[in-house]
Amino acid sequence: MAQLVQRKRYSQDPLDAKKRTKKRCPFQSAGFRDIDYKDIETLSKFITERGKILPRRITGVSSHFQRRLALAIKRARYMALLPFYSHM
Amino acid sequence: MKNQTPKLYEGMYILSAQLSEDAKAKAFEKIKVGITEKQGKILKVHDQGKRKLAYAIGSHNDGHYYLMYFEIPPSVMEDLWGEYRLNEDLIRFMTIRTDKVLEKIEFKQLVTEQ
Repeated sequence: MAQLVQRKRYSQDPLDAKKRTKKRCPFQSAGFRDIDYKDIETLSKFITERGKILPRRITGVSSHFQRRLALAIKRARYMALLPFYSHM
Repeated sequence: MKNQTPKLYEGMYILSAQLSEDAKAKAFEKIKVGITEKQGKILKVHDQGKRKLAYAIGSHNDGHYYLMYFEIPPSVMEDLWGEYRLNEDLIRFMTIRTDKVLEKIEFKQLVTEQ
């Protein structure tokens, strides 16, 4: 039976290869339990130069951690640890 | 019925950096007393020192950050916030519920991308 199930081979087209490389959530692979608003070093990797939160389509963060990340960034903003808006 | 079982809180306070050392210590002592006189218990205090604010709050460009862990019945939090709002030396404060006390303020590193 096992021999009958043939694994589907992907074509060697570079465009397909690009599609296949799946982004991994940086927080999951680092084994985070939660994201702390005091951890500015980490948070600042997920905001733009202007201080906006980066979408997870760019960063590859899972939806679970994106929600926590957004909350942490908003807390850090309130405590003036991160800017709401920054001039470049 | 009010909830009287103490819960663990983490409070972050920004005191005005324009105050003298003495006045700052006194102002922070006032915050601590505010907690202890409401049957709260202070577990850990981190003095994080002076920091530049990410944006100006009123006329302040710098602030002195304190982080404090304490146990207090949730029912008195409202009174505590009321007190903080009247405190003019306190620029900003935030109290949130947590489940553990951080002995050291350091965090996990993200893995560097290859």
